[in-house]
Amino acid sequence: MDDISSILYESAQRLLGDLSERVLAGQALTDKDRADGWRRIEEMGLPVALVSEEAGGFGFSDADAFGLVRICGRHIVAWPLVETMLANRFAVENGSEPLEGPVETLGELTPEQREAAALTRAVQMAGALDAILAMTISHVQERQQFGRALAKFQAVQHSLAILASEVAAGQAAADHAVARRAQGGDGATLAIGIARARIGEACSKAAAIAHQLHGAIGYAQEHRLHLYTTSLWKWRDEFGTQAWWTQQVGREVLASGRDAFWPMVTAA
Amino acid sequence: MTLLTFPPPVENEATEALRTEVRAFLAEAIATRTPLERAESWNGFDREFSRAMGARGWLGMTWPKEYGGHERSAFERYVVVEETLAAGAPVAAHWIADRQSGPSLLRYGTEAQKRTILPRIAAGDCVFCIGMSEPDSGSDLAATRTRAERQVDGSWTVNGTKLWTTYGHEADYMILFCRTSGTPADRHKGTSQLLVDMKATPGVTVRPIYDVMGQHHFNEVHFEDAVLPPDAILGTEGQGWAQVMGELAYERSGPERFLSSIQLLLELIGTLQGSESVAAQTAVGRLFSHLVTLRHMSRGVAALLEAGEDPTVHAAIVKDLGATFEQDLPDIARSLVDEEPDLQSTSDFAAVLAYTTMAAPAFSLRGGTREILRGIIARQLGLR
Ligand SMILES: Cc1cc2nc3c(=O)[nH]c(=O)nc-3n(C[C@H](O)[C@H](O)[C@H](O)COP(=O)(O)OP(=O)(O)OC[C@H]3O[C@@H](n4cnc5c(N)ncnc54)[C@H](O)[C@@H]3O)c2cc1C
Repeated sequence: MDDISSILYESAQRLLGDLSERVLAGQALTDKDRADGWRRIEEMGLPVALVSEEAGGFGFSDADAFGLVRICGRHIVAWPLVETMLANRFAVENGSEPLEGPVETLGELTPEQREAAALTRAVQMAGALDAILAMTISHVQERQQFGRALAKFQAVQHSLAILASEVAAGQAAADHAVARRAQGGDGATLAIGIARARIGEACSKAAAIAHQLHGAIGYAQEHRLHLYTTSLWKWRDEFGTQAWWTQQVGREVLASGRDAFWPMVTAA
Repeated sequence: MTLLTFPPPVENEATEALRTEVRAFLAEAIATRTPLERAESWNGFDREFSRAMGARGWLGMTWPKEYGGHERSAFERYVVVEETLAAGAPVAAHWIADRQSGPSLLRYGTEAQKRTILPRIAAGDCVFCIGMSEPDSGSDLAATRTRAERQVDGSWTVNGTKLWTTYGHEADYMILFCRTSGTPADRHKGTSQLLVDMKATPGVTVRPIYDVMGQHHFNEVHFEDAVLPPDAILGTEGQGWAQVMGELAYERSGPERFLSSIQLLLELIGTLQGSESVAAQTAVGRLFSHLVTLRHMSRGVAALLEAGEDPTVHAAIVKDLGATFEQDLPDIARSLVDEEPDLQSTSDFAAVLAYTTMAAPAFSLRGGTREILRGIIARQLGLR
């Protein structure tokens, strides 16, 4: 990552963090706030972040662009920013101009587009997992019961250790798929399947533990936790469900058979 | 959340060429080993095999040449380790020495110890055992009661009992963790590590302990006025705790922490090969995704080691997730294949399933229990 990307990361983090704070869970934005917010996002050029430089994008490497997607996952906002990023990328790849955003749905996708979108979702999930872990850690440190912080109870510590381990594993799988795709070659599809299988499972476990440790407040609409957990419950099955991706991986493994198994692991 | 980021693994032509070489060697060297024998994983003990590994330069790989090492990278060592484990090679005669005792000696040993012992380990000719656990000191390692008292002539007299000492009955040496001053109430203070010659120290008795399968891997090692020479002290007297934690980081860091059930996974794939069942494909897809991800994370740990960084927390995460993966496998296999587990069966699947089911409980005990690992992770998260 070069200086320009890291400056852009920082500004995106600040803007999206700010906009995300304002999405008070459960409250609709006024039309004015909605328009203003999207204008600020457009001013930063985020909707064309995944587009080539000639077409008005940042000219990011794929890996750097995915870094930005991860930031989007960390700060959930009221606009379909990642969907718009993808729609613009696909439009430009098809020789069209970037679209008037925000774009809510992507419509019919080619297999290649679906794969790119599936990986993008995986990276977005990785970002949301960052947020869920951080939220849960601060909650158990602040909330007191029985005269001490929840964090002091061993049962709570161990649940958080599981949460952190799942987050680490899901993110490692997503990171690896990004790297494989950047390398090119034919390993990328399998790596994306692996990422979706692994991070999908991490999302289920992480969301369950985060809700458990937040107690009832995390189940209330006024709390921000559900912005993340409900998103994860959707994302993990979009652009190919977790079941579908997992089955694709298994089909390939079983078609290759016993003797090819270990070489397949080391090549994955 | 950088603490959870695993550095990307490094691959290059050198490691992949080495992989090809190791695979070719193993295909011959252990050709006659049955699947059930391979399922023993790192419990399989064969001095001949370890010498053959040493002869190829595949032990002590990262150590300086002057001590018999080969000055290769942590990634090259990783390739050799994972290939031998995946193949189910009998590695126990060099495993502990190559993984943790050698690195400890390299760091803390006297020049003489390094010159005499390290080349023997690298040659596959020197078996080590781990002297940490005791009857009253398991997870709570600092509660050690075994004591080494310094005598006027500088030698040490050791009294106490070590337990669960894997291959203590074969070992040439033990690295002993014990108290050298104070009382168990002093906890970490006053502990040290000492090097014990298991073959030539009067007052050391090794008694077998049989495991649930009736096999003899671990032992009770009793010290009764056992006298060790003055230079038996490893590193600095009183620094035993810091040193033993460093040793544990090596003990917990490798791919053996998620590959113990690999033979069962291979038999499962063999049994289901070509299956069109959605349930089978989905279950196998999930296992494969877990395995590949664990491997990426584990190679990230190797990258941390290579960079000289402390891998403790990353290793704890991989070991905890890895043990869960290894332990879940027998039940997943049972749910997919309609065959009774049976050690005596002529079906490799049935025999390996029976074996792995019985081996599995140890996976989340040995090398630090699940609960202890989760405590380490929680500490890193700032919760304790
Ligand atoms: C196959 C095998 C090989 C081994 N080889 C060796 C060897 O070569 N050398 C050696 O020194 N040791 C060896 N061990 C011993 C191993 O290190 C210990 O079993 C382990 O450290 C746990 O100690 P323990 O068995 O005394 O259990 P305990 O410490 O008594 O623990 C029992 C249970 O209580 C839990 N527990 C303990 N303390 C806490 C706590 N503070 N919070 C929450 N839960 C807790 C544990 O997690 C565990 O579930 C081996 C063990 C096995 C199974």
